Amino acid sequence: MSSPTWEEFADLALRRIKASGAEYGDIRIQQSTTEHIQGEDRRIASIRHTEDSGFGVRVLYHGAWGFAASSILSLEEVPRVADLAVEIARGSASIAVEKVRLVEEPVHRDRIVTPVRLDPATVPLEQKTGLLLNTMEVLHDRPGIVRSTAEVWWRRDCKRFESTEGSALDFDLLATNGAISATALYEGRFATRSFNTPHLRKGYELIEETGLMQEAPRVAEQAFEKVSAPAVDAGAFDLVLDPEHLSLTMHESCGHPTELDRVLGYEANYAGTSFLTTDKLGSFRFGSRHVTLVADNTEPETLAATGYDDDGVVCQRWDIVRDGLFVGYCTNREVAPKIGEVRSRGSNRADGWGSVPIVRIANIGLNPGTDTLDQLIAGVKRGIYIEGHGSYSIDQRRYNFQFGGDAFWLIEHGKRTHMLRDVIYHGITPEFWNSCDGVADRTFRRRYGFITCGKGQPGQSGWMTHAASPARFRNVQVIRGEGHV
Amino acid sequence: MSAGNANRWPKMTGREEFRFLADLVFTRSSGDGTIVTLHDVHSGTTRFANNQVVQNVDTRRGTLAVTVAFDRRHGTASTTDFTAGSIHDTLARAERIARISPVDPEYLPPPEPFPFVARETARPETTAAGPARRLEYANEAIGHCRMENLLAAGVVSTTAASVGIAANNGLFGYEARADARFSLTVQAGDSTGWSAAAHRSVDHLKIQERTLAAIAKAKRGREPIELPAGPYPVIFEPAAVAGLWTWLMWSLDAKSYDKGTSPFAGRLGAQIVDDRLTLCNAPNHADLLGVGLTSEGLPSMPSTWIDHGVLTQLAHDRFTAKTHGVQDVPTLDAPVLSVNGAACGNLQDLIKRTDYAILVTNFWYIRTVNPIDLTLTGMTRDGTFLVEKGEIVSAIRNFRFHDSPLRAFQQIDAATGPMEAVTAETGKMLAPAMVLPEFNFSSVTRF
Repeated sequence: MSSPTWEEFADLALRRIKASGAEYGDIRIQQSTTEHIQGEDRRIASIRHTEDSGFGVRVLYHGAWGFAASSILSLEEVPRVADLAVEIARGSASIAVEKVRLVEEPVHRDRIVTPVRLDPATVPLEQKTGLLLNTMEVLHDRPGIVRSTAEVWWRRDCKRFESTEGSALDFDLLATNGAISATALYEGRFATRSFNTPHLRKGYELIEETGLMQEAPRVAEQAFEKVSAPAVDAGAFDLVLDPEHLSLTMHESCGHPTELDRVLGYEANYAGTSFLTTDKLGSFRFGSRHVTLVADNTEPETLAATGYDDDGVVCQRWDIVRDGLFVGYCTNREVAPKIGEVRSRGSNRADGWGSVPIVRIANIGLNPGTDTLDQLIAGVKRGIYIEGHGSYSIDQRRYNFQFGGDAFWLIEHGKRTHMLRDVIYHGITPEFWNSCDGVADRTFRRRYGFITCGKGQPGQSGWMTHAASPARFRNVQVIRGEGHV
Repeated sequence: MSAGNANRWPKMTGREEFRFLADLVFTRSSGDGTIVTLHDVHSGTTRFANNQVVQNVDTRRGTLAVTVAFDRRHGTASTTDFTAGSIHDTLARAERIARISPVDPEYLPPPEPFPFVARETARPETTAAGPARRLEYANEAIGHCRMENLLAAGVVSTTAASVGIAANNGLFGYEARADARFSLTVQAGDSTGWSAAAHRSVDHLKIQERTLAAIAKAKRGREPIELPAGPYPVIFEPAAVAGLWTWLMWSLDAKSYDKGTSPFAGRLGAQIVDDRLTLCNAPNHADLLGVGLTSEGLPSMPSTWIDHGVLTQLAHDRFTAKTHGVQDVPTLDAPVLSVNGAACGNLQDLIKRTDYAILVTNFWYIRTVNPIDLTLTGMTRDGTFLVEKGEIVSAIRNFRFHDSPLRAFQQIDAATGPMEAVTAETGKMLAPAMVLPEFNFSSVTRF
């Protein structure tokens, strides 16, 4: 006798949910395959191949949620879990005050597949480990380099979503990433310089196109230049921020405060709330006229462009900040109607079969401007050019932030000069974005992906991509990232 | 909702069942060294906000991982499917990786068999607690807040787990674990108050006591004044101390020490903090979440890491332990930070004897700014107050800090004994409330 299909398991669960009298239910069955090869200090420290499969059932009963999940996919376990989800929802309903109402969404039947030129599962392991070992050797060729890392990662998610409303969606999604770093030691100090592909929904062609080994000499050289550079002097500087650095700034100061569940208090006990309260929608000046932030979950190859979210809502494109004005939130079917919206933005995602979907930051990006990078730098008398990610922290309402970076260069009289170290800048979110007076054009636009965005209790890791061209910010407070200042 | 629960709960992987699964691997494995690890976890969380349940979840995930080594080439594969066919496939994947992976100069064969200490890591009342118990606790916290016309947001969670490690040299360890957690943020308009608990026993979460504490914080936090950034004397509650010390503990790894990329480089055996501070691992402590065995298949034993301010221990993996000649690899799963000769009984006593200080309930979003001197940044959260002449005189707007625990804890003015310290971003430890003469706040936020 052949094993039951995912469609048969889904049908079994949905029939139990419907029979319970619940107004809504869905099931996600998922199998995730991950390969992670990690190199460290000229050796392959770990090769892990992970198969993670299971299913999660979500039930809305009398306006309250229940969710149950299991890694055992069997004809006995599916009804147990479905019944448990109903039972939990009944418990939630017993103390519910405001009933959950889901905003309408058409029924969808579709199949989404990541276009891949080179499946990473078919690339010989020796080729990947050889690349990483050779790259680390190149990193260590530079005198002064004492530590190195090199890694290749990919994950394939095969998923089926079905709801009691009739939607049935199949997904076959892939994401790939490669990254390297070098740490230099100099006069008792150490500093690390990094480079990554970054995470995109592409195949192994991403690794080959990026050329980790070709970048290694530059990364090693800049690690040493960074550790031997003079420390920054605290004060006000103009900043020119590269796309990778901006991806984190946008994520923390624009992405999280525009998650509507946070705004409504759902995350008050952990990730926090938001200063972008609903009374500010359409009227609050978030940034200068140069700042237009667009959520685009339709852009090919980006992490949140999955065709449909885990509510079964079509991925969309919408404005978050338009010409500096705050105009949009990331929503799901539950929170969208709470601000009078008639359709979810389709930004409800779970990090796997065992997690319940929650509102997630979309692929929020900064729209390009008209300058070149040289023009942005030429307009700076005394400033700092920052690349990559470093230290980062922000308060629970997303006002007060502090960022470091991966590499810093002093700008003097319109020219990028030598490297600096220990640069940290801080500010208040809307003041910072209102100080933006220029964004480079589309030719400078780059995309960076996040796969470890923490939110929710139990904690989940969200995936999204942030794209930007370099941008300039005036008169930002910089401090030295060491000791007691 | 309690009736019929017996049919609702999945049967966790038992000791003998794990042994059977491991033997399925060993009988087929051609590796020189083969290790099987088990993580079978059943957890439930009831999450509430705005005084009602917003998320109520129950997840069971069993994972079996197989590591195979041929000489010093190794690979690991894992599965969540415990059928025989899947386990054989997992072994085959691990063997395939190991055969073609490069030689790892740091590979060590599986640890020798060890008679692991049996600790009471799974209390039956916690293992049996389900959504009904969680809902009862959530409702209790919400009820107290409703009576005060305040908003409650928080979680009640319970977790039961079967954890095991077995190797083809005879190593075998298995442990059932369980814990329960409660945390609550009370919103009083623009002000928030917070409290949290974690315990092996779901009966020891002290829901009412914790809820009333969070309510008191929230009410006292109204109408905060703004103070300028700068260095201040501080009173840290245990959670604030734990937030900073967790980052210190995470920075103790021996590999970084050896490479010169550690804030402690060259300081093993030297005084690194106030000479009254001692950091121990106490896995037998009834109020901590200590374990019997680690994921590497090593025992967790009592040990001292910082002895009267002197760094005596580094965090080793088996390879660095071997190179350092460390026989018993120390663990830090049940940390206790204590101040020798602490004179003050409780937090109120510390406040009463303080002339001027900032009282910090908790920190949020702590991150490393500079790994060389362990400069950290982060925000105060959910209860920051000005203390003058032995009393809390006002709430204050939250500060960002920029300082290193290695500098800040050089001198302690006063401290309590170790108390429960649980934060959202770290685990559980016992830590004192402390008065420090100076801590650097670098900027102020808007609330």
